[in-house]
Amino acid sequence: MDKNIQEVYDSVLNGNMTETKQNVQTALASNVPAEELLNNGLIAAMKEVGQLFEDGEYFVPEMLISARAMQAGMSVLRPILVAQDIKPVGKVVIGTVKGDLHDIGKNLVSMMLEGSGFQMIDIGTDVAPEKFLEAINEHKPDIVGMSALLTTTMVNIPKTITYLAEQGVRNKVKIIIGGAPISQKFADEIGADGFAPDASQAAAVAKRLMGVAL
Amino acid sequence: MPIGVYAGLEITGATIKDAVTSAPAQTDAVLALHERFNTRVMLTAMDLSVEAEAFGSKVRLSVDEIPTIIGRLVTTESEIESLLCPSAGDRRTTVHLETAGELVKLSKDIPVLGGVIGPFSLAGRLFGVSEALELSLTEPEILEKLLKLATRFLLSYIKAFRDQGAAGVIMAEPAAGLLSPRGLGRFSSPFIRQIAEETQNDHFSLVLHNCGAKIAHLPNILEAGAEMYHFGAPMDIDKALAQVSKDVILAGNLDPTSVFHSSTPDEVAEHTQSLINRTASFKNFIISSGCDIPPATPLKNLETFYNSVNLKNI
Repeated sequence: MDKNIQEVYDSVLNGNMTETKQNVQTALASNVPAEELLNNGLIAAMKEVGQLFEDGEYFVPEMLISARAMQAGMSVLRPILVAQDIKPVGKVVIGTVKGDLHDIGKNLVSMMLEGSGFQMIDIGTDVAPEKFLEAINEHKPDIVGMSALLTTTMVNIPKTITYLAEQGVRNKVKIIIGGAPISQKFADEIGADGFAPDASQAAAVAKRLMGVAL
Repeated sequence: MPIGVYAGLEITGATIKDAVTSAPAQTDAVLALHERFNTRVMLTAMDLSVEAEAFGSKVRLSVDEIPTIIGRLVTTESEIESLLCPSAGDRRTTVHLETAGELVKLSKDIPVLGGVIGPFSLAGRLFGVSEALELSLTEPEILEKLLKLATRFLLSYIKAFRDQGAAGVIMAEPAAGLLSPRGLGRFSSPFIRQIAEETQNDHFSLVLHNCGAKIAHLPNILEAGAEMYHFGAPMDIDKALAQVSKDVILAGNLDPTSVFHSSTPDEVAEHTQSLINRTASFKNFIISSGCDIPPATPLKNLETFYNSVNLKNI
């Protein structure tokens, strides 16, 4: 691996935001192609972070600071990727459903998907079905992510899906769901397209739905 | 010993908002569960926003949802340093203290446990959970300042439960399950240990509940020095029982949502029986839910759980 890319990779893995930003700038100044930096530096590092999480070597704090470092690198890289018309893997609208203010899981999923090359549109917490519809119409995402932490709010996931079907947009997007009380069984029952028990696996589910190699 | 008060509202007809704002409504729900299922312990409600609210956090109360903290009360080191420590009984903490006191009067010989939050989870409510987790790696000394303040308040709050005659508290420390084992060993267990050392006696025990912890966390959790450890579904209870000595009491860990809330009674019986069978040789294990039983859990499922346990005469 190119030395500059390796430095970006390492700084993301170590969760160092400042160094990642600097390393991306240095690599770009050394004429490392932006797409290569994205794929072999930022995305590859986040893939390793996900693996370390699944292996029980990284925990949520490590994942969070790596994701912040990745985002710092992306802030430098994004305008260049846009200018070069390099497309993301897919576009995802994500939010917690109506009534639910718990956003840590949603934030982690958002970061891990961004670290897998997705463009993320985070519409926040306590999102009403009408706001999901509005975001779908505005951003034309490939995937919509919904989460709920409570048994009292998880019922708003199927309600939102039903509303999107009534409004004629359900079949235009894939829907992935997650949250502490959510299970694969629940996802199957309500007709969601994907479920993941944690943020790391959510990235793999989203890629599978996009037909992208893992 | 399932953790659950809100299920009692199915019997009394009161709302969650009633239970977390009115000691009589909460007392009635606990007593209703006790009368229906002959519960061997009485617990006050698991209301993990009440301590942060005492500090001044904004809370969203709703008729059918457990209260939730809105936003972050403190975001910087200087704000943490300026934060005043509330007193036990401030704001809605008085509801839970009064409930404990009333239950003690009415419960005869049934032990009453108060419900409180753990120090790291309280710090997360005040500073933001994601932000507190990040701080544990980026600026741990600042997090420790907040943890010291959280611990100071929890000490006074738990002593107030003791003054009410409670037999102990069940301390919920779910956010610490998101830390690495080493992180938990630094940012949760030492603070709980201080609380345990200053509050536990022959008549008062600390039950430490961590519904997010996994087997890798177990050695660091045990450093807290609690009388009993109560775990959630992520804990491999078979491995945990094999690792701890016979004088360490463990409890748990039937999934409150997938088993109690969303299963059929037959499935509840099957899951309960399976856990009973797997743990039958361990006298230091108490079967329980892995976390708070969600509101609107079918009473038939709770009944099935208690019937399964009582048939085995545990």
